[in-house]
Amino acid sequence: MSDRSQALPAPEGEFVETSRFGGLSILFALLALVGLGLGVVGAMVDPAQFSFSWLFAFAFFFTLCAGCFFWTLVHHATDADWSVVVRRQLENIASLLAVMAVFLVPVLLLRHHLYGWMNIPPGHEEALDVKRPYLNWHFFLTRAIVFFAFFIIATQLLRRFSVRQDKDGNPRFTFWMRKLSFISLPMFALCLTFGACDWLMSLNYHWFSTMWGVYIFAGTAGSSMSLLVLVITALRNAGYLQDVVTVEHYHVMGKWMLTFTVFWAYIGFSQYMLIWYANMPEETQYFLVRNTESWWALSMLLVVGRFFGPFAILLMQGFKKRPRRLCLLAAWILCMQLLDMYVIVVPALHGTGVHVSIWDFVPLLGMGATLAFVYLRLLGRTSVFPVRDPRVIESINYQN
Amino acid sequence: MRTPSGHTVYAMAAEYESATALYEAAKRVRDAGFKRWDVYSPFPIHGMDQAMGLGKSWLSAVVLCGGITGLLTAAVLEFGPSWFIYPVIVHGKPFDWRTVPAFFPIMFELTVLFSAFAAFFAVLIMNGLPRWNHPIFNWDRFSRATNDGFFLAIEARDPRFTEIEARELLESTGGQHITIVHED
Repeated sequence: MSDRSQALPAPEGEFVETSRFGGLSILFALLALVGLGLGVVGAMVDPAQFSFSWLFAFAFFFTLCAGCFFWTLVHHATDADWSVVVRRQLENIASLLAVMAVFLVPVLLLRHHLYGWMNIPPGHEEALDVKRPYLNWHFFLTRAIVFFAFFIIATQLLRRFSVRQDKDGNPRFTFWMRKLSFISLPMFALCLTFGACDWLMSLNYHWFSTMWGVYIFAGTAGSSMSLLVLVITALRNAGYLQDVVTVEHYHVMGKWMLTFTVFWAYIGFSQYMLIWYANMPEETQYFLVRNTESWWALSMLLVVGRFFGPFAILLMQGFKKRPRRLCLLAAWILCMQLLDMYVIVVPALHGTGVHVSIWDFVPLLGMGATLAFVYLRLLGRTSVFPVRDPRVIESINYQN
Repeated sequence: MRTPSGHTVYAMAAEYESATALYEAAKRVRDAGFKRWDVYSPFPIHGMDQAMGLGKSWLSAVVLCGGITGLLTAAVLEFGPSWFIYPVIVHGKPFDWRTVPAFFPIMFELTVLFSAFAAFFAVLIMNGLPRWNHPIFNWDRFSRATNDGFFLAIEARDPRFTEIEARELLESTGGQHITIVHED
């Protein structure tokens, strides 16, 4: 209906010239080598601190990749039209979950520094013994393998179907991807929830929260949508997706950022208020550590910076239609996700106050550079958007 | 403006073949500078807001005011009694501002409630509702607007409205069954 109704994509798609990013790739590879190399040193020199630093970085990047996987599933399950043009980048980032599986290995190797319950022999603590059927090393390891097996198989299949559709435009791939997504959505919910419980909540085996999985998911979905805004804008600045992604798509992404800003606050507050009100020692210890001493400042920054600020700004319609401003806020939300993961993981080690260590930055650098390097490799292999998707024209001409 | 038979003129109206034709006609009427006019279709047409030159609705501002009123109402009703008028220690919680987490649910609910009321009544007022009848129903063909008809009506109260200009404009945009609709 609009003036853009004549916009047709080139049938062969739009490809990134990998040679343009050759320098960037080498830089990321070097940074990754330096980061991971220093990581090995860190694990030798200060294993207690390093294991928490590594888990913090792992949680941050894992939630970003898993969130992009979630948005791919939502796209297929709801047959959404706006997200067709951004879907290939979601698939690319979701495929990085295979790399995250490798980054889980140090967590498993350093488990005795991270998870106190692994060092307590059975029969020494009754509170732990009743949780033994779930909290034991073999089951822990099995779950980690099952979760990542699912993540890797589902993301690879989704990306493979999508890329094959680029060649022949056969709509049956759309139906396959939709069926796969219907199966994957509940699987994703289970894997993310129990993954969050295993790797983050069990840092303190006394503590429990039934809302933990949803809380992690809320941060996951919101921050990965912010990441998508940044990735799409970077591609557009490099000269791609110019006639494909419009201000309307930014508006939708901004609306999703608003949605999950509110959802994160809703879940985070509900978890806090129920624990605060009931005032039971085994539940309050989590917030006692994080709301006292210097951790209090970071917790408050999280409340204001992750909710009140972005909420007020994203309420404005005009803001969501200005890509440059939306990018600034998206970067801010990513920083807040980083802070969220920091406040979740590190107080388990430094319960008496904030203690920033040099080792906190090394895993971030190593993991981030590795993921960026692999992402650039994936980016060049296919068209930057699914060019033969049956709904791609509809998506290009999308209007709110 | 009256017709020779003595009826007050409500509008000059035309019917269009399709949503696309209506969309194109709307852009022409917008560019001709008319302000008091409307289009009618059995389903929402994407992009019609821009084609009609409607701009952003004022509804969101009204809803924001409603939400802020609700938030302040809740804050006053909660903090007033439990902090100043009748402080009581409940469940070992403090009774000053630090007990604000317990008040958040009420603040949230009243914000939502007042916003919803503001939205509901503002929509009614902005649409000129409730009313018993509308002059456009005086046109027989208009009953198809809920089925398969696409209509455009330029109202007589538009300062630019003249019978000849409106008719010519509707004709040139491909309007059919162009007619004068009476006010009563």
